[in-house]
Amino acid sequence: MNALELRNVTKKYPDFCLEGIDLTLPGGCIIGLIGQNGAGKSTTIKLILDMLQLDDGYISVLGMDHHKHARDIKEDVGVVLDEVGIPECLNARQVGKVMQNTYKNWDMAKYNELLLRLSLPEKKPFKEFSRGMKMKLGIAVAMSHGAKLLVLDEPTGGLDPVVRDQVVEMFYEFTRDEEHSILISSHIVSDLERLCDYVAFLHHGKLLLCQEKDALLDTYCGVRCTREQLATLPAGAILHKRETPYGVELVMKREDVPQELARGPITIEELFVTMIKEARA
Amino acid sequence: MKGLLLKDFYMTIKYCRMTLVVSVLFLILAFFNDSLFILFYPGMICGLIPTTLLAYDERSRWLQYSMTMPYTKTQIVSSKYLIGLTGQILMLLVIAAVQAVKMRMSGSFMLREYLITLMLIAILSLFSSSVSLPFIFKLGVEKGRITYYVMVGVVCGLGGGASVVLGKEIPQHMALDSVLPVLLLIVAGIYALSWYLSVVFFKKREI
Repeated sequence: MNALELRNVTKKYPDFCLEGIDLTLPGGCIIGLIGQNGAGKSTTIKLILDMLQLDDGYISVLGMDHHKHARDIKEDVGVVLDEVGIPECLNARQVGKVMQNTYKNWDMAKYNELLLRLSLPEKKPFKEFSRGMKMKLGIAVAMSHGAKLLVLDEPTGGLDPVVRDQVVEMFYEFTRDEEHSILISSHIVSDLERLCDYVAFLHHGKLLLCQEKDALLDTYCGVRCTREQLATLPAGAILHKRETPYGVELVMKREDVPQELARGPITIEELFVTMIKEARA
Repeated sequence: MKGLLLKDFYMTIKYCRMTLVVSVLFLILAFFNDSLFILFYPGMICGLIPTTLLAYDERSRWLQYSMTMPYTKTQIVSSKYLIGLTGQILMLLVIAAVQAVKMRMSGSFMLREYLITLMLIAILSLFSSSVSLPFIFKLGVEKGRITYYVMVGVVCGLGGGASVVLGKEIPQHMALDSVLPVLLLIVAGIYALSWYLSVVFFKKREI
């Protein structure tokens, strides 16, 4: 069963339009939604969670219609929003009690274990938490009610590298269960590169691509060559070009690279930047 | 909905202490002043509790967060109405006790006057929150709150006017004891209608 299916998802605002998004997240996988600020990542997430009304299209979450079965779905979906949303006067213990009365499958032992593991104080009010601690508490809540799908909107923003590593490790652990899936959005592409099985690039409300990460990295490569070698390449084969004092760095499809040139690895970040520039052009 | 009510309870304890302090001050003042306004005011500011909670909810983005949980928009609205109603009923009970003690102490206890006073307070405080909440659920707290203050102004004016007209005693010739129960039922109906409108508005609002 697919954890998520979006078909022709469209949402129109006077100054922004999310258009015809088609996206599939197979069960047990992690998909990274990558885009600049304002690309439509949060709008996509809000549509999935039935927080906004669709103008067109269809969304299925864990095999159910996202609107008709919203309450059942939300029992099984753990969410961390970019602004966590926990009331400022509540402490972690009170948050636990509120959530215990919210989710049918709330696991207080698991929640307390996560508070301990993430070094979160039980009695300190949320307003006194740092940005990182706030995010960690949101993550602890999302992972304590037996969710099968985590929907995470910029969850690593504001976290220091050590905590980010810890959090990413927790997401890995979560997906060891074959039924568990994650949709994670971020503009910190390096985090997603480590974590994701699939990547989706969003730009100005349009999905530039949605593909398996490894297949993507197999399809594209980086090429370093001289200016003379560059002149021999067909212009259409070059997706991105950067000239340096030492030569030229290119992004190309592996199949388009001539035998005499060495193919180097490319990162998702480089590919993302390339595609954004291509889309702008 | 238990989780929503528990969260609102925690927040009321934290953020509405001043409401309690002001109410106590007015109730103490009521012993030394016969103006009905002094008794109306605590009931009305208790009607402001849902607005205060919604303001904090908006600031912390709780409204967005709660919509990622297995709650319906109807439940989110209903929890605020329940908290407001509970606050107003509790305050009415306190006012009732204070008024009874005051009337007994001054030796002027008359059941008819006592009940009329309580019904007037219940009607005015219920009515003021009934009018404001749908606007708040439709427009958000910042814009919606203005309607509440307008309502409080109108109701305080009515309360003050009533106290001037009626003075210390309710005139016998006025059929208030038969009119007010009907009016109370009508206002209860308005409160229910207000809840319904809030649900409709909130369902259409994209947060």
